[in-house]
Amino acid sequence: MTLRAIFLFFWLVLGANAAFALDVELAYIGDPADAVYSGVSQGLEEANLQGQFLGQRYRLTSFAPGERNRAPSSQAAVLLAALGDRELVELGERAPGRAVFDLGSESDALRARCLPNLLHILPSTRMKADALAQWQRLHPESRAQVQAWHPDFTKYAAEQLNRRYRKAQGRDMDDRAWAGWAAVKMVADSVARLGTAAATPLLDYLKTDLAFDGQKGVTMSFRKNGQLRQMLLIVEGPRIVGEAPVKGVVDPTDLDSLGPVDCATSSDSS
Amino acid sequence: MRNEFLLILALAAGPAWAEPTHRVFVTNERGDSITVIDSRTLAVEATVPVGKHPRGIGLAPDGTEVYVALGKENAIAVLDPKTLKVLRKIPSGDDPEAFAVHPNGHIYLSNEDAAKASVLDPKSGKVIAEIPVGLEPEGVAISPDGKQVIVTSESTNMLHVIAVPEHRVVANILVGARPRAAVFNHDGTIAYATSEISGEVKRVDMVKHRVLNKVPLGDDNIKPKDILVSRDGTTLYVAGGRANQVIVLDEKTLGTKTRIPVGQRVWGLAMSDDGSRIYTTDGASNTVSVIDTAKNQVLATIKVGEAPWGVVIDDGS
Repeated sequence: MTLRAIFLFFWLVLGANAAFALDVELAYIGDPADAVYSGVSQGLEEANLQGQFLGQRYRLTSFAPGERNRAPSSQAAVLLAALGDRELVELGERAPGRAVFDLGSESDALRARCLPNLLHILPSTRMKADALAQWQRLHPESRAQVQAWHPDFTKYAAEQLNRRYRKAQGRDMDDRAWAGWAAVKMVADSVARLGTAAATPLLDYLKTDLAFDGQKGVTMSFRKNGQLRQMLLIVEGPRIVGEAPVKGVVDPTDLDSLGPVDCATSSDSS
Repeated sequence: MRNEFLLILALAAGPAWAEPTHRVFVTNERGDSITVIDSRTLAVEATVPVGKHPRGIGLAPDGTEVYVALGKENAIAVLDPKTLKVLRKIPSGDDPEAFAVHPNGHIYLSNEDAAKASVLDPKSGKVIAEIPVGLEPEGVAISPDGKQVIVTSESTNMLHVIAVPEHRVVANILVGARPRAAVFNHDGTIAYATSEISGEVKRVDMVKHRVLNKVPLGDDNIKPKDILVSRDGTTLYVAGGRANQVIVLDEKTLGTKTRIPVGQRVWGLAMSDDGSRIYTTDGASNTVSVIDTAKNQVLATIKVGEAPWGVVIDDGS
């Protein structure tokens, strides 16, 4: 039986009859054609597969970017947003005490503002620049790109994730899809451990206690500026050629060697 | 007269169990072979081609067959431990990796890509049951009385407890990120599980199905895999992955007693029947290290095939 068939079977059998101990609402705000949404959908299926063993059920409501102001008044435990920086900041202000996942921005200026409920999944521009600089210490001629994910990544548990995403979603997983998947997965993991989906305890747990396996090897957690610290891939053309933090230049577990970790002081903000 | 008659009958019926061969069997994941080591001399007796991508290995309870999961053939190979011949191959579903052999002879196998565990009868080759579990099931452990089976699901961060013979999941216990392996203690009341990403060992009450205590193993390099219990039940041994060490823990407190340096990327562990020796598979140095558990030191390092993964000992244990 395929994963989907198994999930659907349980959904129909259990969903119709059993009272789930916990019903968790998630809200997506963005374009449904965005790869982020595809990743969120995959994350939702997996959250429900995990949830069936714990009496937890996840449901997703989607809002187009133009409807974003309706999202904060929903019951959603977290907001998953693929929006421009300005819209994202406004959304965060409208949903105080609730986690707003930034699934689209790479802006260091945004992260430096250290907004209390914004959680940034994609690597920022400076994180990528730092990764490239480390790589170029060993390979000065390299014209590599830096990515958070790659559909051909097989190390650690990446192969399993790439395989099941490709099978279920019918396309390759890219950075934005991985970000959407990772946000939902870390919410499900956190709710599983907390036993509650109440917005503020969940936000606090994510910011301070999360130890996330995003299927790319090293444990991930959030910096105080809301950035997910993570390993990155060095890519030349179609091929993965290395990983950052770069072994031989820094300790490969020193994730904070990539990008800024601090908040801007009030004199820096612009 | 009567006793002699019964004795003759017993001898004619043949032994209920095979005489142990005293062999250590090691799967070489990239060598597509089994290395056979004489446990009495520690000499390599043979290297036997077995099929593509062998990983998990186990022994039938009566000692007459060795089972090997062949990841790239989607089958379990059945070997004769005496003649070392491959007797047959049983279809197993995609990419078989880890399994455990039940006291009743059945094989409990995790199907990593299909979020389920399968129960196979190696004699008939049939699948007896399929049990849905969480994402990326890997480790399988069976209680000594055979009534409970633990399957770890790596991406769902749980130990699923399956009741036998009902083949239903009766409990789901959240553990640290990416649980790899589990093992029961000698009366089946407690189990121990390793989690790769959180680097933890958890001690779990298997009567009440809840975590009793846990400990992080401390070093970021330790991505623990196999775990064993000493014969007297007081000590745990954990394969420490790229920390290149076996970590020895107190069973109750999970405090570290000592660390034993072995070869590189140690994953698989097996213990001799008398508990005096532990064999490790050092996947990145292509060796098996033999630990003297009285001294907690390596007494021999044996060169085996390419990328050793699993190990099992046929010595009556």
